[in-house]
Amino acid sequence: MDKKKLGIMEIEPLVRDRYIQDEFNLIGKRGISRMCGKEKAGGRAEYTRDVQLPGMLYCRILPSPYAHAKIKSMNTEKAEALPGVRAVLRYDDPELADKPLYGLETKFNAGHLASDGQAFYHGKHELAVTLEQWKQGAGRVLDGVAWWEGHPVGAAVAADTPELATEALGLIEIEWEELPLVLDPLEALKPGAPLAAEEINNRNNIIRKLKVEHGDVEKGFKEADKVIKFDARRRPYTVADAEPMSDVIQWKGDNVEIWAHQQQAYDGKIIFGMKMGIPLNRIKLHVPYQGSQFGGGGNPMMHHTHGVHIISGILSKRTGRPVKTFYDRKDNFYNLSQDTDCHTSFKVGFKNDGTITSVKIDNICAKMGQYGIDHFEENTRIPNLALNYLEANINVAPAYWFRCEQNHNALCLSLVIDHVAAALGMDPVEVSLKNDGAEGRDMEYLSKFKVEHGFPDRDSLAEAIEMGKEAFDWDSKWHAPGTKMLPNGKLHGVGFTWDHEWDDTRGTACAGVLMHCDGTVDILSQKSDDGLNAMTTHCQIVAEEMGLKLADVNFRFFEEVGFQMMTPDGSCNLAVDAYCTRNAAREARQKLLEYATTPVKVLEIEYPAAFPEHHPDDLDVKDSIVYLKANPDKNVPVAEVVKRAVLNQGGTRAPLFTWNWHRQGRYGTEEGRHRLTRQAYFAEVEVDPETGGVDVKTIVNINDVGKAISPETCEGQQYGGDYMGVGRALAEEVIYDPKTGVKLNANLIDYKVFTMRDIDETVNLLLETGMGYGPYGLNGIGECIATIVPGVIGNAIYNAIGERVDDHPMTPDKVLAAIEKAKAKRGDVK
Amino acid sequence: MKPFKHYDVNTLDEAVSALQNFAGKAKIIAGGTDIVGMFKDEVFAERPEALINIKTIPNLDYIKEEDGMLKIGPLALLEDIAHDELIKGKYTALAEAARRTASPHIREMGTISGNICQQCRCWYFRSPNNRFNCIRKGGEDCYAEEGENRYHSIFGNVKDCLAVNPSDTAPALIALGAKVKTSKRVLEIADFYEKEEPKKTTVLDDDEIVVEIQVPQPAANSKSKFEKFAIRKSIDFPIVNCASQVEMDGDTVKSARVCLNAVFANPYVAQKAAEYVVGKTLDEETVTAAADLALQDAKPLTKNAYKITIAKSLIKKTLLACK
Repeated sequence: MDKKKLGIMEIEPLVRDRYIQDEFNLIGKRGISRMCGKEKAGGRAEYTRDVQLPGMLYCRILPSPYAHAKIKSMNTEKAEALPGVRAVLRYDDPELADKPLYGLETKFNAGHLASDGQAFYHGKHELAVTLEQWKQGAGRVLDGVAWWEGHPVGAAVAADTPELATEALGLIEIEWEELPLVLDPLEALKPGAPLAAEEINNRNNIIRKLKVEHGDVEKGFKEADKVIKFDARRRPYTVADAEPMSDVIQWKGDNVEIWAHQQQAYDGKIIFGMKMGIPLNRIKLHVPYQGSQFGGGGNPMMHHTHGVHIISGILSKRTGRPVKTFYDRKDNFYNLSQDTDCHTSFKVGFKNDGTITSVKIDNICAKMGQYGIDHFEENTRIPNLALNYLEANINVAPAYWFRCEQNHNALCLSLVIDHVAAALGMDPVEVSLKNDGAEGRDMEYLSKFKVEHGFPDRDSLAEAIEMGKEAFDWDSKWHAPGTKMLPNGKLHGVGFTWDHEWDDTRGTACAGVLMHCDGTVDILSQKSDDGLNAMTTHCQIVAEEMGLKLADVNFRFFEEVGFQMMTPDGSCNLAVDAYCTRNAAREARQKLLEYATTPVKVLEIEYPAAFPEHHPDDLDVKDSIVYLKANPDKNVPVAEVVKRAVLNQGGTRAPLFTWNWHRQGRYGTEEGRHRLTRQAYFAEVEVDPETGGVDVKTIVNINDVGKAISPETCEGQQYGGDYMGVGRALAEEVIYDPKTGVKLNANLIDYKVFTMRDIDETVNLLLETGMGYGPYGLNGIGECIATIVPGVIGNAIYNAIGERVDDHPMTPDKVLAAIEKAKAKRGDVK
Repeated sequence: MKPFKHYDVNTLDEAVSALQNFAGKAKIIAGGTDIVGMFKDEVFAERPEALINIKTIPNLDYIKEEDGMLKIGPLALLEDIAHDELIKGKYTALAEAARRTASPHIREMGTISGNICQQCRCWYFRSPNNRFNCIRKGGEDCYAEEGENRYHSIFGNVKDCLAVNPSDTAPALIALGAKVKTSKRVLEIADFYEKEEPKKTTVLDDDEIVVEIQVPQPAANSKSKFEKFAIRKSIDFPIVNCASQVEMDGDTVKSARVCLNAVFANPYVAQKAAEYVVGKTLDEETVTAAADLALQDAKPLTKNAYKITIAKSLIKKTLLACK
């Protein structure tokens, strides 16, 4: 039995594509325009917020004015009486009783809890609350208790206009019981601290504990020539995506249509179907363009994803009209994920030659953090590692993954290497290469994998570093920390860091390739508009494989067509999905050539094939023309071949259709993520010793992407990641009022995302070793840059000042304090 | 955003008359880059009933030298001021200040009169849905005092309010000795800002509007300079900004004006710094002493002492640039 033909998805190990063509017509070619570019840049792209349906109502949800409070009583009569208000959904509505936000029960998401990273697999994981309580931690669709300021609670109003819906919210009379709140994870862990959410844990504020130990850290410290200790902090930052969250749901009889602003929109549909008791074949999903979510729309158990679906769905069912639930900019800041406050302490032992023998990390995070040790486990040869991780609940916006959650993990690795280099007076590049788990010398499982899959034995990190050093002129620019002042009076600093991040190995996707009777092709799959220029790159792959002109392939991924991409994860795009399009395209090409050589017989009449005397192997396709390999002058356009194939079979049948699925890895089963994207980053900064201002002059990125399908897209990602990373390093921070827990900068002026005008120069270079597990040996590049750049900026600032600012973001107050500290150490007279 | 009335007027007289008709319940809108945001966020418990749009008044965006002074119409765009050759050459600090205001899009909409009249950016004051009914809104508390005050005043409060004036052009105009002509009077720009009552930013009456900015021509051997420190280069309100104008007499300073902003409720004239440099050469030692003097009276809050260091630096930088 061919299980694949039956559609049974067996769990496959990671595969590596051994088939790498030497020459491509379209893959890797420069100058190919983004297929969505004109629509987006011209303002014609339709986003979820743009969706307008006849009779549509607008729904707003009440944001809690308090960071921790209970609704004692609520009167919605005045809101209901406001002309134009069509429905009010209350938190105590019976239909909401069985609808917690927790949505991991879909089999597609099973194991999300266990997908955090390597640390999880080796750790002694302990939920300090019960699993049921942990699930409750997601909250309810509409609750009577608020755990953070802005928490959507109490009521949702559907009205004829957005203004009316907002006005009606203001008419709802609520008697609140304000509860004590806690905003700092360290405070939250002290005995007697207020309980952040007694509904989850009524004993203390601990959510999770994790202990990991590899080797023997104490032995490692004894073997070391030196042992250092230091602390670091990463303050919370948030998604700050462009398009605030919204959805539209239209309930028509037994059928429902959803327009979703969501990364895993199909998961959202499944959860919606399960919770509302609707079969999936009665739900039609539309996924319009997504206004750069940065991963913020990525979790189907958050309020902004399926919470709003449930609310829109119930209100649409009750009113018989389409309902658009939307967040405004503030709501978006209140409710989308933020990366949490992390207090991390390090103890590091190392030899005098830079070999690190032992790393111990104590990490306390708020809500849901990153462990901090993962990149040591996955990317280095350091033999002795230990982690103590503690997660505390506090009364701030929810935490989940976005913009790649590996930021803190990457920062921890970067800090340890740079601290060791500083302690030894060594060039950090040397310390990095001493400890990197580079090609052929990785952890056992990864080395084994690479041997089994025929990877070349090639140290691409060393190659990336060499490229970067040359482009940056590292050897002449690097100097001992705190030793170079420029003629303009500023302190000059250079920094280096590296990592092997991010190439998410897991995911599943399916796609069809459908050729119309004019020879043009549609790629069939529904996909959220995130990932890197997926629309164009999949078309490049299909056109390349089928020998078609790029203009003959189209990929409009907005509508539900029975196939989905990027489910369940959002971190993998071509590395998983492109196997589907490529394999389907190859099969389609084969079918096309069979058509070209097979006569079509309809009743008694036999129509000759385009190449009646030949076998498919004799033919090839280029620029949408099928030709005889031995005599290219003998050729027939693809359109003609398919026209003949369907000539007498009616126009309703597409002549050619293939589909393919690919599943790579499985959540929670691998020993870790197979990190293959080697990368080296260099940065040059000027620090004003009088103001603490940091000018980022140059960033050089080298990414081993394996194979770039669209080099400009990869470079665009490097460039975008650079300024997002610099913003994270220097400015991005969610600021709360310490007394009330009110978010003070829930807008794009006070929450400072960096823009293209905020850094001077970026040099974006790609290394293409073919050492990825994706098709054509590609690796991916999506998430790594913005997570690694904060580390390299911090290292450059240290190099400039001679004193660390290991508290991100590195705002001028902290930079000035470090400068004062450096002066005091040097004995400068002020 | 709640509905409101919106009137287009054709003359300044019509604008004044409309303001009088609403008796304090109408506001002027020009570029709208500040007031519309406040409307959207429902910053006030009660907000004006109407906006009087003066963009429809013709010929108020002029920039010209006349009667021995630079005259700027109230609707002159910040972007035009930033790139005006006359202003860049002779009134340098003003061009630099306009250039560093907001972003290109906002500068293309925002006007000079709006920029000098804008409300503070205190995040308690601006918190949506009037979350904090602070002193500036008629409440009793300043929430910044014990709260998040990293961007607040370093020179104390006005009736307990610790908000700062965020304008970039105001300190430049003060350094240049500008006057504000209103529909009722002509004021030194330093006197244009309300000193006693935090509920008001300027001394403008409810029915009074700015009709012209007048900047005296600088003396032949004088220079001006504006510096801004903000987190982002692209778009940000200042953490501190500073403008200086210095008239030299040979190698020594004949007269000087130095103004900081974003450090106090109103633009803060650094009188001590200006007085100190008179008669001296502008060297590192002099400007450092001047800056130290200017910040002698600073009273930092729990989280903003760093602004003192930055303010000193900007005073030094602007003075040295006027050498």
